[in-house]
Parts: sequence; C-alpha cells; structure tokens
Amino acid sequence: MNGAHFVVKALQQQGVKQVFGYPGGAIMPVYDALYDCGVDHLLCRHEQGAAMAAIGYARSTGGVGVCIATSGPGATNLITGLADALLDSVPIVAITGQVASPLIGTDAFQEVDVLGMSLSCTKHSFMVQRAEDLGSVIAQAFEVARSGRPGPVLVDIPKDIQLAAVEHACITHSVSEPDAPELSDITAARELLGQAKKPLLYVGGGVTLAHAEAELRDFLAKTKMPSMTTLKGIGTIAPEQYAFLGMVGMHGTKAANFAVQEADLLVVAGARFDDRVTGKLDEFAVNAKVIHLDIDAAELGKLRKADVAIAADLKQVLPQLAMPLDIDDWQQHTIAMRQEYHWRYDHPGEAIYAPLLLKQLSDMAPKNTVVACDVGQHQMWVAQHIEFDSPHDHLSSSGLGTMGFGVPAAVGAQVARPHDTVIAVSGDGSFMMNVQELGTIKRRKLPVKILLIDNQRLGMVRQWQQLFFEGRYSETILTDNPDFVALAAAFDIPGETIVVKEQVQPALERMLNSKGAYILHVAISEEENVWPLVPPGAANDKMMEEC
Amino acid sequence: MLHHLTVTAQHSPELLERVLRVMRHRGFSVQNMQMNLDSDNQQVELHVAVASERAIALLTAQLTKLIGVTAVSLTDRTAEPKLAVV
Ligand SMILES: Cc1ncc(C[n+]2csc(CCOP(=O)(O)OP(=O)(O)O)c2C)c(N)n1
Repeated sequence: MNGAHFVVKALQQQGVKQVFGYPGGAIMPVYDALYDCGVDHLLCRHEQGAAMAAIGYARSTGGVGVCIATSGPGATNLITGLADALLDSVPIVAITGQVASPLIGTDAFQEVDVLGMSLSCTKHSFMVQRAEDLGSVIAQAFEVARSGRPGPVLVDIPKDIQLAAVEHACITHSVSEPDAPELSDITAARELLGQAKKPLLYVGGGVTLAHAEAELRDFLAKTKMPSMTTLKGIGTIAPEQYAFLGMVGMHGTKAANFAVQEADLLVVAGARFDDRVTGKLDEFAVNAKVIHLDIDAAELGKLRKADVAIAADLKQVLPQLAMPLDIDDWQQHTIAMRQEYHWRYDHPGEAIYAPLLLKQLSDMAPKNTVVACDVGQHQMWVAQHIEFDSPHDHLSSSGLGTMGFGVPAAVGAQVARPHDTVIAVSGDGSFMMNVQELGTIKRRKLPVKILLIDNQRLGMVRQWQQLFFEGRYSETILTDNPDFVALAAAFDIPGETIVVKEQVQPALERMLNSKGAYILHVAISEEENVWPLVPPGAANDKMMEEC
Repeated sequence: MLHHLTVTAQHSPELLERVLRVMRHRGFSVQNMQMNLDSDNQQVELHVAVASERAIALLTAQLTKLIGVTAVSLTDRTAEPKLAVV
C-alpha cells in the first residue's frame, strides 16, 4: 500500500464517507486512491467551494468535514474557508498535496509554504515528514479538529510521501478529557444565581459545539431564565421558549438589547463577547455580574472580566447550575418587552418586503429545513425573521462574515442531509462570489433551493454608506448584474423572477415543491435597510431605527 | 509591562513560528529570547521576555492552547520597565 491509499484508509477509519475537493499534480496519488475506494468525493468547482462545502457538511450534522486540494494555488484557494472555520470553530480537516520533499524550499512548480500560511487560519496544522507518520498524523488531525473548542486542521503531504510504501496499521489518537469543573466555582456560580434579581442567559455557538443543546434546554426549563443568543447560537433555544428574546447585538432584537443593559447577572454559555454582540464593550451590560462558561480558557476574561469563570465542558457544567430561581417580576418584564417589540411586517406598497418574505418562508418550509446564508443584509434578515429549531439548520458565516459562503455551504448540507430541504439565501453580491458552485449542484443533481434577494446593490455596505458616509455610494451599485435566472438555467437549474408581494406565496410554494434545484430570484428595493442597528461605537440600547 | 515567560513544548520545525506569531498577533513584543533544544531533539524550552500594555494572562492562555506546548510559566523576574526620570 502506498501513502495515498493509506491516507484514504485512515479517513475511512475515522468514519469519513464524504469528502469535497479538487485535484491537481501534487495530490494525484490521493485522487488515484480515491478513484475506487468507496469514499464519496464531490468535485467542487473551486477549492474555496470545497472548503465551504466541508463546513456546511460539518455544521449541518455536528460531524467533521473533509476537503482536499493540490499544492500551491489549490491550497491558497482553501485559505478563506479555513479562516471561516477557525472563526466559527468548525471541525474540518483539510488535506493538501505538497511538492516532493527534496523540492521543498526550491521554489518548485506550485510550491507554496502551506504550513506557514496555515499558522494563522487553522487550529493546528501538520506537514507529514515521514510516511510512517501518516497514520498518527491523520488520527491526531481529526482528534484536534473535534476536541475541546473545535476548529480546522490542515495536513500537508508531500508527493513522495503519498507514493512511499506504508504498512497498514490501525491508529487512533485520543486527547485528554477536559477537567471537571471545580466544586468551588460551581458553588460560587450557584450563589450568584441565587442572588440575582435579573439574570439573563447569553448563548453562543459553543453550546452546540459541545453537543449540549439538551442540557441547555433543561437549564432553561429549570431556571426559567430569560435568554438571548448570538448569531451562531440561533436555533439552540426553541423559538417558543419562555422569555426567549432572540438575537442580541448590532442587528439584534430590541428586547434582547434592552434586557442585556438591565440585567444584573449574565450567564454566558459558549459565547465570547464578540464586538458585533456587545456594541461598545465598556457600556455592555454594565449592571451585570458575569458567569462565563466555555471550554476554551482563553476566552475567559479576554474581553470582559468574569465574576465566576469556568473552563469546562458545557455538557457537564450546565446541569450543575440548573436550579429554580425566584425571578417572577423580571420574567414578566422581559416577556412584556418581547411582546412590545415583536417584529412588524406591515409594509406599504407593492414591492416585495424581504423580512416578510422570509417570515412567509419560515412558516411554509418543512421541518428540519436547512438555511445556508450568504453575508449582508439578507443574512441579518434571515437571522431575524426565520425561526430555527436546531442550530444545525442555520448555517451563517458569523465570525468571518464570508461572502460566497451560502451556496457551497448549502451544497455540503444537502449532501449530508439528502432528505431535508436545503435553501441557500443569497444576495446579488455574495451569489457571484462562488457562483461556479452551481456546477457542483448540477454535477450531483442536488435539489438545493436558491433564494436570491436582489437589491442590485452590495446592500449592507450601501446601508453604511447611506448612514455613515453621507450617501457617497462608492462601488456598491450592481445595476449591471447578469440575468440570474438565465445564468442558473445554464446549469440546468430552473427558476423565476418575482417583483411584487402577491407573487411571493405561490413562488415560494413552487420553489419548495420543486423536485430538483430551483432559483427564486426576488427583486427588492435598493433602499430597504436592516433595522434595528446599533451604530459602531454605541451601546446596545442606542439602536437606530427606521425613521 | 515586561514579562518573562518560559514555554516548554514538543519540538517541531515550525514551533518557534507558532509561538512568535501568537505573541505578535495578541499584542506582545518580544524583547529578548533564548531557545534550548534537548539532546534528543524532542523538547524545546523557550525563555522569552515580552512587553505589552495588555494583561499577560491573555497571552499565556493563548500559548497554552497551542498543540505541542506542554507548559507556560511566568518567572518572577516580571517587573515594570525602569522609567527614566527626566
Ligand atoms: C469576501 C467578502 N468581501 C467583502 C465583504 C464586505 N461585505 C459585507 S456585506 C457586503 C455586501 C453584500 O452584498 P449582497 O451579497 O448583495 O447582500 P445584501 O447586503 O445586499 O443583502 C460586503 C461587500 C465580505 N463580507 N466578504
């Protein structure tokens, strides 16, 4: 067996059934091994697409995604995907071919220092130096990717090592379990909980990464504490949960943004005080003490000092903190805020109102529908107006905010969950960033639905230009967009364009009922903005609203 | 503020880059450094003096997370840099 076959066997040992990638010279032995090995490889049409498909696969299932690329340009094309996975803590393993060991450092054809490039955009990376290390490196790569705070891991394999003879051996690797929380910390946290009059739960993506959704829901059932989530936390808390206030932060709900400023205790579960959440940090939740729970000790105290900081597995900690609380007045107050500030969908005129359209979609879509978003206004409208029952159903590039994420992430999710409806919600700017992945949809005949919200603008940037740059619309006008329906048709994807409100319902039905892929191209006004908005440098309760 | 750190790690060709990248990126400037590799090239010990306005715990927490780093300790030479009296 050669190194390349060994790599494929090692992937199989990890339970990998699906990989995404793009071949090239330095990875040819691995592609040769993939040819008839039983691992399904989906050819994406750009390595960035492969990385984001792997992310979509991982996020929609809670498993590890795998992508493969060649040396040089193949590897550099993966980088944005790796950075995206790093900022959103997504477990993916990327395998890259490298020029043969004797050529490394000679500026050989398609040689770049991939290990060097990986240092700032992966959780960890390896360059395999000896064929006999392949087994332990691949096993470690998977373990590092999924353990603790998950993240992307890159394995760079020189071509001579892919071709070298290797003995097959079963290799696993295990990392040490995280320490159990200290009893004294638990006692201190319970004391703070007992004293609090206005506690608020602030839930991030870490709860799902810890597979602790059930423990979290149980914590909420016991404490009846008002709660809010980050963008990545969406879906962790059932939308109908008692005193759930929605998303907090720049485009969060008024209820969450007001409540957080009133709270006297924040229980932070798997979240990290991101600037899009906190607004002006030193005016964020100024009245609150903080209990910060995270597996990553480096997050504790990084931006906000915690009164009790517990670095541990949320699955273990949350049950230890679940206790009934005496907070009736506060519960009623937050529920009243939730009612007072609910979303409104009345909107004058015939033109399609994207928030209402997404609300209609939310009401019509079958259970377990996955929505993969791109980045911009439409992404925030999805977060605001579509209700999710599971965080695995809402794929949104949160930390890196990567335009071009939606379509390839939807590809990965559809491959992972062939029986569920998968919808990519995109903008006319973002869609063009990975439009080549329509080729991947065609190749595999994936029934991905594309909802393209077209304002003929780079809308989110346009909104900021309007509000903060005196309406100087520098390079954000896209009136020269292509005919998107014709573009999709070139990939055998049928679709239609709609422009007025009354077309929405039947068009959504046609899209949802279509057997195969479909594009619903929705023309909206370029003047529609995302509200509310916490302007840069302001506290969360200083939200701007539509005037 | 000047801090003296000792970082112990399993040796790998890129270890030094990993450690130095984290120091730079997290806002710490290296003032002085010494690296020792044990006789069988397995274990590295780095003695580094770093300066920053930021709390040193922010750096030690990030260094501790690096795969291969086995220990990070602050040595008691930590002191305010001497200020010249003008
Ligand atoms: C790769 C990348 N480049 C640039 C940006 C900056 N950016 C953020 S939102 C946005 C506009 C997105 O436009 P569109 O996809 O049409 O969505 P809309 O805001 O109009 O809904 C831009 C350019 C980004 N997030 N990602």
